[in-house]
Amino acid sequence: MNVPLLRRMLTTHSRVFLNYAFGSAFYIVLMFWLYPSMADNSEALDDLMNELPDGVVNAFGIQNGFGTLEAFISGEFYGLILPILLTIFAVSLATQLMARLVDRGSMAYLLSTPTTRARVALTQALVLVIGLILIAAVTTLAGFASQAWIIGDGYPLNAERFISLNVAVLALFFAIGGVAFLISSLANDEKRATGLSGAIAFGMFTLDLLGKISEKIEWLRSLSLFSLFRPSDIVSGQGAIGLELTVLFAIGLLLYAAGIYGFAKRDLPL
Amino acid sequence: MLIVEGLTKRFPSGRGIADISFEAKQGEVFGFLGPNGAGKSTTIRLIMGFMNPDRGRVTIDGRDAGRRAGDVRSKVGYLPGEISFLDGMSGRGFLDFLGAMQRVDSKAKRERLIERLQFDADTPIRKMSKGMKQKVGIVAALMHDPALVILDEPTTGLDPLMQKTFVELILEEKRRGTTFLLSSHSFPEIERTCDRAAIIKDGRLAAVKDIRELRSLQRKLFELVFDNAEDALAFSCSGIETASVDGSRVVVAVQGDYDALVRAAARYPLRSIDAAAQNLEDVFMHYYDRKEIAP
Repeated sequence: MNVPLLRRMLTTHSRVFLNYAFGSAFYIVLMFWLYPSMADNSEALDDLMNELPDGVVNAFGIQNGFGTLEAFISGEFYGLILPILLTIFAVSLATQLMARLVDRGSMAYLLSTPTTRARVALTQALVLVIGLILIAAVTTLAGFASQAWIIGDGYPLNAERFISLNVAVLALFFAIGGVAFLISSLANDEKRATGLSGAIAFGMFTLDLLGKISEKIEWLRSLSLFSLFRPSDIVSGQGAIGLELTVLFAIGLLLYAAGIYGFAKRDLPL
Repeated sequence: MLIVEGLTKRFPSGRGIADISFEAKQGEVFGFLGPNGAGKSTTIRLIMGFMNPDRGRVTIDGRDAGRRAGDVRSKVGYLPGEISFLDGMSGRGFLDFLGAMQRVDSKAKRERLIERLQFDADTPIRKMSKGMKQKVGIVAALMHDPALVILDEPTTGLDPLMQKTFVELILEEKRRGTTFLLSSHSFPEIERTCDRAAIIKDGRLAAVKDIRELRSLQRKLFELVFDNAEDALAFSCSGIETASVDGSRVVVAVQGDYDALVRAAARYPLRSIDAAAQNLEDVFMHYYDRKEIAP
């Protein structure tokens, strides 16, 4: 790791970090604020959901209904909005941290100093992970804060499950970020890196969604990292999430290591 | 200080460099001369360790300068051919950052260089002109007192006055024992600073020569305009090597023997004499077109 580089990169990208963190926080506050009015009509909504095809309910993770606060946010926010937000964040930041610097030539300056390529790449990977942790942390805090201040005791939040949900989403994007980082480390062209890692990340998201809609194509989910993140199971307390977290973390580590190794070995067009 | 041995790199496109060897001794300014696309930048990228050579070796200050040799680079200053700094910084911000990366306290020298090159270092980089960026790049390459400075086409974008300041800077650093590798596609640029130069052609070394020797080998073109076409014709038949005759206008190629040209031309009334602008291939046709008679 290289401290001046880390500090520089965090400064450069701090505004983007904050934009995403506050965007996510704002959304979760909005969801919490909406919840009481939904909960009061939860029976009507549950009836409505019974009308919907099972596949659709499954795909959007709303099978837990609107009975509890966690169930409500797990479907809409953690099942859809946050993954999309974090996918865009991870893909664009990973591309900017490696491929853009190679494409534009600025990497030449970083590598002309007495540091190694591996150290430069490790530092850049760390910047990406710090960004993800920051967004997840701000989102979690915003959840607790809005539960306390906006909706109050009438609608309790299961703290343990809510934290698990956030840790799980962080683990998922540690791994997705690893995919984007690996591609970015090996790419010479910024646009191609964005295109490829964006296509893979959203492709996996879509495969997971399709697999959830119909049982016949459920095998599609096994191709997707997103299948290791099941917000509805976490909030309903079904099974342990330890295994999924470990697998996601291990896959992530492997991908970052591959990115760093590949970057250290390859020819750079600088 | 810098030893390059048998450096070879082939690209899938078929281009690249083959078997480049030379040595820049300590305190020497070594020129690297070749037209665009001859392989100058590729050689420099290999020396900087941005690419892995197929074959060959680079040694800087007695140590192997391979890809992993991070700390050899504290002794190296580098000015890329195409400069690209980091986004969202001022010139000074970038230099401070690079100073921290170089792990040398270079603040005093940085300020001296900024003063010398006369630019406002607090300008945001994205608002800088090409020449201004070049100045920031020159400061970045020299500020940490490196033992070896590698400059890829250093004077592009600098006005003639700044080019002069730049030449003075190099000569001062040289007196302090700094070694330079300076690539260029223009001989006059190399001529002003270098002790020796390598001529590179199609990825191969054509020659490594003393600069004085190169000076005597260079071929200059002069454009003479005579009063009338008959004189021009008579002059062109007087045994001088003429490159072209067009009415009263004659282009003459001279290599070393300026005396003969002056004597021959003095016999006719002349309207004007101009030194024609030339590219490297014309100056050293010797190496570029008629390789078979090269020594």
